[in-house]
Amino acid sequence: MAVIRDMMPTFELLQPTSVEDTVALLQRHGERSWVLAGGLDSLDWLKDRVKRPETVVELGGVLELRGVRPTANGLEIGALTTLSEVASHREIVERFGLLSTAAGHVATPQIRNQGTIGGNISQDTRCWYYRGGWPCYRAGGNTCYAATPQSMNREHCVFGGSRCVAVSVSDTAPALVALDAEMVIRNTDGERVVAAEDYFLGPDIDITRMTVLEHGDLLTHIRIPSTWAGARFYFEKVRDRQSWDFALVSVASAIVVAGGRIERARIAVNGVAPKPMRLPDVENLVQGMPPNEDTAAAAGELAIRGARPLRHNDYKLPLTRNLVRRALRDAGA
Amino acid sequence: MAEKLIGQDIAPPDLVAKITGAAKFAEDFRAEGMLFAKLLLSPMPHGRVRSIDTSRALAMPGVIDILTADDLPAAEPPGERALTNEPHYVGEPILAVAAVDETTAADAIEQIEVDLEPLPFVLDPLESLRPDGPNARLGGNTIDGRELKSVKWTEADFAAVAEGKLPMGEPVQEWSVGDLDAGFAQADLILDDTIVHQSLTHHPMEPRSCMAYWQNGKLHLYGSTQSTARARVSLANSLDLDPQDVVFIGQYCGGGFGSKITMSPIMHVPALLSRKVGRPVMLRITRYEEHYIGRARPGFQAWTRIGWRNDGVVTAVDLYIVQDHGAYGSSGDHMSASAVASLMYQPAAMRFRGITVYTNTPPRSAQRAPGGAQIVAMLEPLMDKAARELGIDRVRMRRANAPDHDSRFGPNQGGLTSAYVREALDVGAEVFGWAEKSRLSGDRNGTRVTGVGVGLSPYVGGSSGFDGLMVIRPDGDLYIHQGIGNLGTHSFADTARAAADVLGMPWERCSVIWGDTSDHLPWSSVQAGSQTAHAHTRANHAAAMDAKRKLQEIAARDLGGSPADYEAADGRVFLRSSPSRAMSFGRAAERAIALGGEYSGRELPDDIHAVTVGAAGALAGQGLMGVAKDNYSHEGGTWSWVVGFARVEVDVETGEVEIKEYAGVADCGTVLHPRNLASQIHGGGVQGFGQARSQKWVFDPKWGVPFAHRLYTARPPGILDAPLVMDWGAVNEPDPENPVGAKGIGEPPIGAGSAAITSAIADALGGVCLCRTPLTTDVILAELEGRKQPYGRLDTHV
Amino acid sequence: MTDIEIIVESEPRPFSRRSFIKGVIAAGAAISSTGYLFRASSALAGSPSARGSIPRLIALNVNGQSRRVDVLQQETLAMTLRYKLGLTGTKLGCDRAECGACTVLIDGVPHYSCSVLTGAVRERQVTTIEGLAAENGELHPVQQAVVEEGGFQCAFCAPGYIMSMVAMVNENPNPTREEAAHYLSGNLCRCGDYHKILNSAERAAEYARRV
Repeated sequence: MAVIRDMMPTFELLQPTSVEDTVALLQRHGERSWVLAGGLDSLDWLKDRVKRPETVVELGGVLELRGVRPTANGLEIGALTTLSEVASHREIVERFGLLSTAAGHVATPQIRNQGTIGGNISQDTRCWYYRGGWPCYRAGGNTCYAATPQSMNREHCVFGGSRCVAVSVSDTAPALVALDAEMVIRNTDGERVVAAEDYFLGPDIDITRMTVLEHGDLLTHIRIPSTWAGARFYFEKVRDRQSWDFALVSVASAIVVAGGRIERARIAVNGVAPKPMRLPDVENLVQGMPPNEDTAAAAGELAIRGARPLRHNDYKLPLTRNLVRRALRDAGA
Repeated sequence: MAEKLIGQDIAPPDLVAKITGAAKFAEDFRAEGMLFAKLLLSPMPHGRVRSIDTSRALAMPGVIDILTADDLPAAEPPGERALTNEPHYVGEPILAVAAVDETTAADAIEQIEVDLEPLPFVLDPLESLRPDGPNARLGGNTIDGRELKSVKWTEADFAAVAEGKLPMGEPVQEWSVGDLDAGFAQADLILDDTIVHQSLTHHPMEPRSCMAYWQNGKLHLYGSTQSTARARVSLANSLDLDPQDVVFIGQYCGGGFGSKITMSPIMHVPALLSRKVGRPVMLRITRYEEHYIGRARPGFQAWTRIGWRNDGVVTAVDLYIVQDHGAYGSSGDHMSASAVASLMYQPAAMRFRGITVYTNTPPRSAQRAPGGAQIVAMLEPLMDKAARELGIDRVRMRRANAPDHDSRFGPNQGGLTSAYVREALDVGAEVFGWAEKSRLSGDRNGTRVTGVGVGLSPYVGGSSGFDGLMVIRPDGDLYIHQGIGNLGTHSFADTARAAADVLGMPWERCSVIWGDTSDHLPWSSVQAGSQTAHAHTRANHAAAMDAKRKLQEIAARDLGGSPADYEAADGRVFLRSSPSRAMSFGRAAERAIALGGEYSGRELPDDIHAVTVGAAGALAGQGLMGVAKDNYSHEGGTWSWVVGFARVEVDVETGEVEIKEYAGVADCGTVLHPRNLASQIHGGGVQGFGQARSQKWVFDPKWGVPFAHRLYTARPPGILDAPLVMDWGAVNEPDPENPVGAKGIGEPPIGAGSAAITSAIADALGGVCLCRTPLTTDVILAELEGRKQPYGRLDTHV
Repeated sequence: MTDIEIIVESEPRPFSRRSFIKGVIAAGAAISSTGYLFRASSALAGSPSARGSIPRLIALNVNGQSRRVDVLQQETLAMTLRYKLGLTGTKLGCDRAECGACTVLIDGVPHYSCSVLTGAVRERQVTTIEGLAAENGELHPVQQAVVEEGGFQCAFCAPGYIMSMVAMVNENPNPTREEAAHYLSGNLCRCGDYHKILNSAERAAEYARRV
């Protein structure tokens, strides 16, 4: 009955060496299994003894999940590629600098050396009620502790709350959304490809998970099309500490300017909603407009239309508005 | 004679061990048959154990025994015990399980049923003071002297809370000097404000893990402490043992900042479990547990009214502090804060009123400049506001109010040993380049606006009356025994230089012995309140003078002449007029052993402490002993000062603050160790940045459960939160009440760092004091955007 | 006083992050402003597998030596180093990948050993603080640089910082001060001695350039 933290309970550690073996193991162990990539989010759960899988499938030996390869239309990044590799890989830096910049903003060097791109986008939320093991909706309970009039919710969402007000905290996720990336998912039935925007789930769709991954699924690769290669990229992450901190709000944008007008744009923000949030209305608004202060101001205002702050996170509105402004302003710089 | 060691950069003798992994901290020790203990923590902020069912846990293979509060010595409320049957905060340990390994111990904890009766709880001191507010303790909500009592204010007292003004009902502590009304009548400008300062956990890098076993009736405890000799005594007293029956081993302490001054209550767990089961027990404390039991700085909800003349001189200060006390013990941060305010601004009239309120939050203790670090961060931005309104330069304004050597302060109007505050301000202005930098105030660069700040921070810097103990052995080397601890200030080594300099001894021939009470350590000050640099340069100086006298007497006896004709240096005692007539220290040590009596420590001074008598007795006959109590004069209070200067840039679109540069300048008497002083000024400054900018506590008010119990949620500053280059300086004028001129310097740097940042941020905001710490992005952005602040003016634990 | 027990249970589906959670909420009219949330987890989620609790004998390469050691499947590298191999120079400051005191090099790259499963580093080269100095005691250039700068304060963080500095000078022996700060930003020093740590890092890089 009593609670103890910081000791991992026993589990069986399985260490497959191929994707095929991995998905077979995940199929066999089903709901009792847990996929461990870099392990930084996973071990946190396991040490809290809140999540208690019987079997942990550790992916370190699956070499085919690592590395960056050119494709006919862009790049393919293995899900197990570390964030450090993503941050420094020459081709990513040169063509899709938005992603390398975002990866370089994750936590700390040690975490980037171990954490993977697949893990970074698939990590769980950091709502401190949920992470603390409170029996909330997301944990299978019947209430949200973060959205009551007394709750401490400075770091919670201003958009998309639906019984749950937790936010997505990934730095690379909004960059991948802005780059129109695709996620390649394998299970024993075969492979499916999901657009980055659709990879992430809000609580309105499924309150118990942050992504489309289900039992038996393995994220194997991330494909980035050439669509936005060489666009003007902007990434900014506002946080309380300059290392080891999650974004209060982040913005990731890819903007193509031609002839003094915005030809096309992708803008995503994170830390404001249960999933990285693309801003299609803003993208539509700015298309064809000059990347100047007026456009930026209008874009910023539109970005926060419909936002509903909780008791302690009203600041996320001006912060989001200002970061979107900056992204647009930068495109004109 | 050799150049004096004091004032030089000399690395401490343990440095290589520290950087090769050889240094053993408490959790690095192993003992044959060692068991591992794990703690069961209270899930509720206040409750009473109705029953505990340990049957399933005890039936598990590998589980050896369980310790509960019933196995512990009693404690008089509001005293704290390592384990409790009435938890007063979430995370308070209720019992401990010993098992063959940690995995088993942890699994066993989960098999234990604790039936707890919930009791009323309170997190915010003001809630407890409301007419029908709950008390954190069954015996009351405040302490007056040593008496617990319940204080409730009236509805009328709370009338102005809605406007964000601190309610100020009947205080429990108060003092005043001068005529307050007359003081304010003389003022040309009067400002008042309500200001909130957060509570914050110490979070030293090393959690307070400890290991213990018993051999032949003696307790051997491996623990993390700031003060070795005193930890042994407090541990012995708390367990009703003779100090001779306690061996305390703590050569390395991975940071304390006031949280590990002597013993930690949790040390009772391995001590008593190991006695119960007859095997060594290791209790590894996790970071999560450290948050709960590792102590914290008390938060303040305060109100102040200050009056200034047109020339910037403060005429009157009225200060009210409601202190968040946590659930245990007795804390005087608010009283210290009032003394600091009086000292800093020298008002002719001042009134202080205060109350300390128990809350169901983790226990408080001294944290680096207790009371001082809070109050300077709270009041210095108000000084700036006044300077802005009066059109006076901020450094000039501080200079105008600064005390000098003859100033008096506080409720007792005590004096000072020395105060080179104006000099520190002058040196600081020079080092930082205040004249040019202050002109940058308000400069815009894109979305960034520059703020420049200055923060003055005094704190107590020394006590006296402790013992020094050293032996010159027949190998001719000087062995200096130090009962103070080794928490990173290096004072265990640096204060030994006072002895070496008296004897003219090269540092290579000095061995410092510390950290293990079986190595015979003298009675020492606690290594807290910046006492040691002062107290133990004195004690070591006194003992070295005793050794020198004995050297002179032995030399005169063997070589002729009078003792006063002899001098000691470089391992020899020699005739001044004819230096070749000399005796080596090694030979003198042999002669001391042969002569016996006081020379070899067979006879000891009457006035040394019993602990020193025991240590000296064990060392007697091993060489020439220097042993003495520090009886040097100590007139007035010893206070040190740091003035911090900072330049920040605030991004007006995000509320982010970047600290671009920082300089701290100290008045700490004679500088013992320049590079180490720089570390104290800079390191304390960085801790102050965290206090001002990011470190916090957050509790869910409904459930009383904390969230900032991990480093990433408590947010201590990292290397990227500090400027790349930090400057420093020192007045370096000797204090007259110390034989080498030294004053302690551990405390003031944190307040200087914090106040310089709160001041600089207010400056960047055009003189707006947000009157709260920490000044996080959300708080600053709300101000910049003209939106509602995320927290109420008086909100705490947010 | 009444205890109201609310039990919320569902299928144990750890991967979907829905796990059994049992909440007990107790409240009483007499203490209406107080409440109490009981969080629990034991025996409610997947029971530990019998096979998982048996240690496996594995070979590890630590500081250039092959060491055979029994490890639990959930054991972290920090615990193996400290409690199985006697390498206590690697410190546990948080055990949650937040402070860097446990930093070791794995194939030359800094990692938080508290958050690496020992079973995942077979076949890889692990270097700890004990593996830096030469057998004759001669310090590694980075350690020598730290000595020259007067070291740390409490130094509980020192082994981790030094490992990060070693990786830094191997990768970039010519960092700017700002780059050095970024390399070292995964380590925390609560004494706040960052200025001196950066001085040490710059000197370490200088020594590394000479070697």
